[in-house]
Amino acid sequence: MPQFTDILFFGLAGLVLLFGLLTVANPFSRNPVTSAMFLVLTIVSLAGLYVLLHAFFLAAIQVLVYAGAVMVLFLFVIMLLDLKEEEHRRLKSGILAVGSLAVVAFVGILLTTLLKAKPTASAVAGRLVEGDTVKLGTLLFENWLLPFEILSVLLLVAMVGVILLTKKDLK
Amino acid sequence: MNYSLIIVEITAVLIGLGVLMTDLWISPAARKGLGYAAAVAVGCLLAFATGSLAPQHGLGFRDSFVVDDLARFFKAFFLFGAIVVILMTVEFSSRIASGLSEFFALVIFALVGMLFAASANDLVLLFVSLELITVTFYILTSFQRNRLASLEAGVKYLILGAVASAFMVFGIALIFGSANSTNFRVIAAHQTELATSPVFLLGLLLVLAGLGFKIAAFPFQAWAPDVYQGSPAPATAFLAVGSKAAGFVLLIRLLTQAVPQITAEWSRLLVVMSAATIIYGSLCAIPQRNLKRLMGYSSIANAGYLLLGIVAMSRSGSTAILFYLGGYFFTVLAAFTAMSALAEHIETDEIAGLAGLGRRSPFLAATLTLSLVSLAGIPPMVGFFGKVLLLRSVFESAPGRPDLYLLLGIAVIGVVISLYYYFGVIRSIYWGGSTPNLAPIRTSLGTKVALGTCIAGMVFLGIAPNGYLRIAETAIGGIDSAAGRLKSPALKKVSAHEAH
Repeated sequence: MPQFTDILFFGLAGLVLLFGLLTVANPFSRNPVTSAMFLVLTIVSLAGLYVLLHAFFLAAIQVLVYAGAVMVLFLFVIMLLDLKEEEHRRLKSGILAVGSLAVVAFVGILLTTLLKAKPTASAVAGRLVEGDTVKLGTLLFENWLLPFEILSVLLLVAMVGVILLTKKDLK
Repeated sequence: MNYSLIIVEITAVLIGLGVLMTDLWISPAARKGLGYAAAVAVGCLLAFATGSLAPQHGLGFRDSFVVDDLARFFKAFFLFGAIVVILMTVEFSSRIASGLSEFFALVIFALVGMLFAASANDLVLLFVSLELITVTFYILTSFQRNRLASLEAGVKYLILGAVASAFMVFGIALIFGSANSTNFRVIAAHQTELATSPVFLLGLLLVLAGLGFKIAAFPFQAWAPDVYQGSPAPATAFLAVGSKAAGFVLLIRLLTQAVPQITAEWSRLLVVMSAATIIYGSLCAIPQRNLKRLMGYSSIANAGYLLLGIVAMSRSGSTAILFYLGGYFFTVLAAFTAMSALAEHIETDEIAGLAGLGRRSPFLAATLTLSLVSLAGIPPMVGFFGKVLLLRSVFESAPGRPDLYLLLGIAVIGVVISLYYYFGVIRSIYWGGSTPNLAPIRTSLGTKVALGTCIAGMVFLGIAPNGYLRIAETAIGGIDSAAGRLKSPALKKVSAHEAH
């Protein structure tokens, strides 16, 4: 008898896969805005999976930041770069074949690995990571303080780079 | 937490920020001076990092950051590289339309990423420092934004780099899921159990794919020729020297420190990867007409030779990698400094455009020739000795592993092929066809000093390699790869004292 959470997991995981596929290979529409909207749905379904893992804070951030802020930027870019031509572009069959082969091969490796893996997956006895804000904050600012601080340098670099590459009249 | 461990890295960040801020107050004409100042500042940092005041040994930040002989060797390597690249940029500045100070700052921030990578003892720190390096290079490669080739290089590097990072982070997630830790020491302690977990092995394979991208090993090499050709010469030089070395220090740490047993089981995979990289790089370099593109393929082939040291899975193999990287450092920097000094006088990057260089600037011609001779592996240059060390380390490990003899044969064939294409360039320098322009090319004092240092390094390390070889051996000494465990810092300290 499958538990309710199992049904939820498989339902949400199926939705993630379906929406993800529709984002990149929608047979009905080649409009980039439609793809972006399906990406929103993919992100929201992923947030549902985070909730199932008790990572409530991460789920909220996923919706707020990715489905909200980042997607608005995506739509901005799509509308700025008039992508009409994209709708009429045909993929070359050779490229499509090689790409599909790579995807099938990777999925094959992934599936065989997962089937071989024993249910008691963790080889090292593990602790359960809870996803509430206090625990997450402790992890981020104590265990992972150094990578966190390095990321601030990374963000500075990204900011300098964006200005350098896009500003109209650089002196 | 012991913050004194990361004092070199913090200082490097401060130098980078200082360059960014100083730019606000100085006139555009003074920007070259800012470059010299930045080089001097990094030079002082280098003197500090190699001195006795810098942290010598230690483990900090929940074991994710390690300072040992290997880390200190690579920190000195990266700092030295950054100085030469900054000086090269000053020479190249006429080609950078705008944002010269930012170029210096970005080189220093990439340096910060490399310094952290040299000390990474944890997959999270490994990933973050690699991202810092890669994101900085996305910008540096597309820096000449009015040149289409430069933008193309940047976009290609961005897309392929993003895919490689995605694979890598997926691999790290799988490793974390099966090992419940991302720390190299924890993984090393449990590697016997983990070797039986298919999820862990897949994760490790994906991380290897990500690192393979950084060093441009087959089949993750597709970006190298385009990026080498399109990006500004100083960025290419730093990419070839720094980014590749950062990939190799992480490979050494991961494969010989964290999971030596699994590496031994995977030796066939590494042999194939190394052989394919050498063959691909050598064969594709033959028809090239563009010098920078040729250097791109040559860098792929060199990644293959360096992988020989990983395949050998011995201390002498890792030592040979360090030695070869040191020689490669001087050689590549000499070649690219000469190229960026030429950029002002010769419009094309084509090999045919070098015709008559032997008469126009005997000094630059000689530098380019010497570095190509060293890359080809001809004595007495350092490239020869490095290749000998790598091949010898494989030969020593070969008994009982028949596929290594085949690999040795392929490596020798690769060297022979490389003689052909390197000498094609030299022929065009001295015996090239008709030359419309015979005006002599002047080189500035800074370039002369940088090139002189590189030539001295190439020749000195080739003739008297023992001192440097001993440094490389000390750097590897902390790793006990045969037994597959890392000596504790305290133990290492004792052994270091005994050595003195």
